[in-house]
Amino acid sequence: MFSSLMLVSLLVLTLPIMSSIFNTYKNSTFPHHVKNTISYAFITSLIPTMMFIHSGQETIISNWHWMTMQTLKLSLSFKLDYFSMIFVPVALFVTWSIMEFSLWYMHSDPYITRFFKYLLTFLITMMILVTANNLFQLFIGWEGVGIMSFLLIGWWYGRTDANTAALQAILYNRIGDIGFIMAMAWFLFNTNTWDLQQIFMLDPNLTNLPLLGLLLAATGKSAQFGLHPWLPSAMEGPTPVSALLHSSTMVVAGVFLLIRFHPLMENNKTIQSLTLCLGAITTLFTAICALTQNDIKKIIAFSTSSQLGLMIVTIGINQPYLAFLHICTHAFFKAMLFMCSGSIIHSLNDEQDIRKMGGLFNAMPFTTTSLIIGSLALTGIPFLTGFYSKDLIIETANTSYTNAWALLMTLIATSLTAVYSTRIIFFALLGQPRFLPLTSINENNPFLINSIKRLLIGSIFAGFFISNNIYPTTVPEMTMPTYMKLTALAVTILGFTLALELSLMTYNLKLEHSTSVFKFSNLLGYYPTIMHRLPPLANLSMSQKSASLLLDSIWLENILPKSISQFQMKTSILISTQKGQIKLYFLSFLITLTLSMLLFNLHE
Amino acid sequence: MSLVHINIFLAFTVSLVGLLMYRSHLMSSLLCLEGMMLSLFVMATMTVLNTHFTLASMMPIILLVFAACEAALGLSLLVMVSNTYGVDHVQNLNLLQC
Repeated sequence: MFSSLMLVSLLVLTLPIMSSIFNTYKNSTFPHHVKNTISYAFITSLIPTMMFIHSGQETIISNWHWMTMQTLKLSLSFKLDYFSMIFVPVALFVTWSIMEFSLWYMHSDPYITRFFKYLLTFLITMMILVTANNLFQLFIGWEGVGIMSFLLIGWWYGRTDANTAALQAILYNRIGDIGFIMAMAWFLFNTNTWDLQQIFMLDPNLTNLPLLGLLLAATGKSAQFGLHPWLPSAMEGPTPVSALLHSSTMVVAGVFLLIRFHPLMENNKTIQSLTLCLGAITTLFTAICALTQNDIKKIIAFSTSSQLGLMIVTIGINQPYLAFLHICTHAFFKAMLFMCSGSIIHSLNDEQDIRKMGGLFNAMPFTTTSLIIGSLALTGIPFLTGFYSKDLIIETANTSYTNAWALLMTLIATSLTAVYSTRIIFFALLGQPRFLPLTSINENNPFLINSIKRLLIGSIFAGFFISNNIYPTTVPEMTMPTYMKLTALAVTILGFTLALELSLMTYNLKLEHSTSVFKFSNLLGYYPTIMHRLPPLANLSMSQKSASLLLDSIWLENILPKSISQFQMKTSILISTQKGQIKLYFLSFLITLTLSMLLFNLHE
Repeated sequence: MSLVHINIFLAFTVSLVGLLMYRSHLMSSLLCLEGMMLSLFVMATMTVLNTHFTLASMMPIILLVFAACEAALGLSLLVMVSNTYGVDHVQNLNLLQC
């Protein structure tokens, strides 16, 4: 019953795609069908989840034997364990709300049915990813979400920036895929399988190489430092895409992969240290970049990147279950933040610059409420959603025997979270309006209101609800000094007050010339500027020089043929004293020959 | 020597004289070179076949290959001269310029 219900809920998702050959696709009610389908799938998937929470019994469904290559057996198998059983309802819930939101947001788009089809295909590939039991199926889901991300970021393909951003996403993900394939190859060689069960049972030593590959894959997919520029650029897509892919679902795929491999990672201290440092760098760097951005979606994108860094830090201190909890809670408030920003953008007639917003506190009360509650949940205010995961992470990091520098970075980034959240609230909501007077601000569409309302309730209660109903996994640290327990709260409050003070103080000051620190933060640390221009130029010019100059013109033309002919010409001009007269030379040769023949033959 | 041998030897000698004594065209010299090569080939083939010296029966063929190479070389020189002067008169080759 458990397994069949889960399969039904996954199967139901594929129905609207298959119905696109019928006439329902051409109707304008197709988006409504899709939204209803997802809500049914959500409700259906709640039943197996509740059964799982009650009994704690994990399942593996292995349906269809695809092929066997000598000793490797590939089949379609679903792993319904703690992680996938809890993630599926959360993801379906968030997607349901986002679908309803995009019914309002993309209402005037002529290709709205295609949009919903793409979103649904993305959701299906994400489900394949999280329920995969072998690396091959996971890779199918992995590539699928990458492709759908490309198609959805470049939704408005007439815009050059959107095309560049979509291409950037694909390229950075591809670099991560190299690591994934390396890990797959290593597992195939050393454990003879791609099934997770067999890998964990065999427990190979020396897992440095595959775990490095998986870390690279997570860096690419989850936009860690080094492969991060695609995430802010991905904000070129419509807001529902940003809310679904680049905040809740796709970017956590990398973290999810690392969480899946936690039995291997808990034995490898080196990789844990690497993960910790990578996550700490990411979270601090992206939080710094978020401080001076002016586009509201980019600030939220950097916020996502910073929270992803925090999840990677959690894996680095050997707490995969806490990272997973943070994934689930993060989905709620981040999607809601994106939807609120979408509501603001649409109301102000597609204005995304926070310097041109303001005074929306009284004009859009519902959006204001949800934005503030979302920001508070993000920063980890006690007993909202974010608290249950984020505070536990900071506490565990404080009390674990780990890298102090990484810890410090994480704490600074936590306070910066509060700073940029205050910045958004201050510029977008407070003060006097800075937008054009003729606006059509309204939030009276039931799609918008209901979807944000659902996520709002989720943002407030989901943390409590989830963390009280899951079975205990790793035991959190229970005893610590008071100052450590209050560290997260203290830095957050510090961030809030500092940001508010600074904003109010500098509100009426003249715009100075930018300091170098400001420029560093505003231009994303110069990372895209350098990395998108210098290495490609160096690579291409080096390859051109080596291929055409070195190989062709030097080795094939110049070394033997041309050098020989030059040398011969020069020396022959130098040393010959003759004048031509070929006939004379030939004649003398003939006479000499005849004479010698006669002499030698007639001698005896 | 038999009559056949004298015949072919005579052909060789005539070509040799033609190679070394010609009026003005470089091309005639090249043609005589080919004639020499031809007579050598026939001589070698006949000797090998008559004495049933099978091991040496590849010698005429290899001789042919190398003759082809040298004919190509000679023709390229001819073309170089002809490019500069339009005709291949030997009396033009009095300037040692390239």
